[in-house]
Amino acid sequence: MGPLIPNGFITGDWDFVIAILLGIAFGFILEASGFSSSRNLAGVFYGYNFVVLRVFFTAMIVAMVGLLYFDYFGWLDLSKIFILPTFVWPMIVGGVIMGLGFIVGGFCPGTSFTAIAIGKLDGLVFTIGLYIGIFIFTESFPLFSDFYTSGDMGNPTLMDVTGISAPWIAFAFTFIALAVFWITMLIEKRVRKTTTAYKF
Amino acid sequence: MNRNYFFLTALMLLLAIGTMFLSKSEQQKQIEPDKLLWEIIQPTRYVSTDEVAKLIIQNDPSIELIDVRTPKEFAEFSLPNAINIPLDSIVTTSSLEYFGIPGMNVIFFSNDAIQADQGWVMTKRLGFDATYVMKGGLNRWIETIIQPTEPKETAPQTEFDIYQFRKGAQIYFTGAKVETTTNAKKNKVVIKRRKKTVTASGGC
Repeated sequence: MGPLIPNGFITGDWDFVIAILLGIAFGFILEASGFSSSRNLAGVFYGYNFVVLRVFFTAMIVAMVGLLYFDYFGWLDLSKIFILPTFVWPMIVGGVIMGLGFIVGGFCPGTSFTAIAIGKLDGLVFTIGLYIGIFIFTESFPLFSDFYTSGDMGNPTLMDVTGISAPWIAFAFTFIALAVFWITMLIEKRVRKTTTAYKF
Repeated sequence: MNRNYFFLTALMLLLAIGTMFLSKSEQQKQIEPDKLLWEIIQPTRYVSTDEVAKLIIQNDPSIELIDVRTPKEFAEFSLPNAINIPLDSIVTTSSLEYFGIPGMNVIFFSNDAIQADQGWVMTKRLGFDATYVMKGGLNRWIETIIQPTEPKETAPQTEFDIYQFRKGAQIYFTGAKVETTTNAKKNKVVIKRRKKTVTASGGC
């Protein structure tokens, strides 16, 4: 049956409607998971709160395993879904910048908006900085436009690169994620003994 | 520690392990239904018996004749160099090796075109290109190549040309004897001799 748009069940005009619905759901889940608090978010780097890791790992493994079942039941044709193209070097550099920004600012782009939504000042300041950053990037884009598209690998998946079948990758990630959940719980317990309670 | 975490961990692990037992191999990959429908209505997927005869006579190395009838029928009569793949065993790994060979044109035939069409649809759904169906099947083959009928005298010249070709093909495939094409009675050649002129003899 799926994906709905490539298979012609609905037209591409529904893109924005779906985007808004998904955006609302995403924002709600982020806020409900406590992602509107920069203390919660940055906690993963200091070892007192691993909620970010848990939420994203849970989302990832549930989606991963779920999609494999969807494919099996014929609800979604995995060979037709969009796969983001990979540009190795810009992605590594971008990831480092993003990580640094995350530690320093205490938000990632999506969570800063949820923080604004519940009226947090730090989220507002972060978002202003975000737009200044976007402006600087846009204006200076010609300087590094070559680098921006370097290391193009097309649209490979982990299965293509490693040659391991999808169920094994899904199982490996699930196992790692579940192990990490339990380990981080222990780390949290230990670290929280020495830190004072904080407000969300 | 919350007991629910244990249940959730176990559930997630079970689901992840479960994905390994989802076998996709039972389902063959297929082309899109609308693409199949588009291909089905193309008249170019048919080849006539004359074209097939021509290709066989020319010893064209790029054609692959597939007889989709039963082995018994195949043993009784078939086209030269044809391969017998009964309809029910087309979608087996050993049979599928015959399709999708680069540069090869597969021509399906059966007694009529129905079974051949079914074979064609099966391979087309699996995404094989360059497959054709012999229009009319072996029945038409008999009518046109093995026992061609002479066109009416008023028929256009092209039909006579086709007839000539079919007669030639008939000779090629059956070893029939060459028939003389004109039935006109032999005109007796009358030799006219000039009467000897009587020369004057004697005289004077």
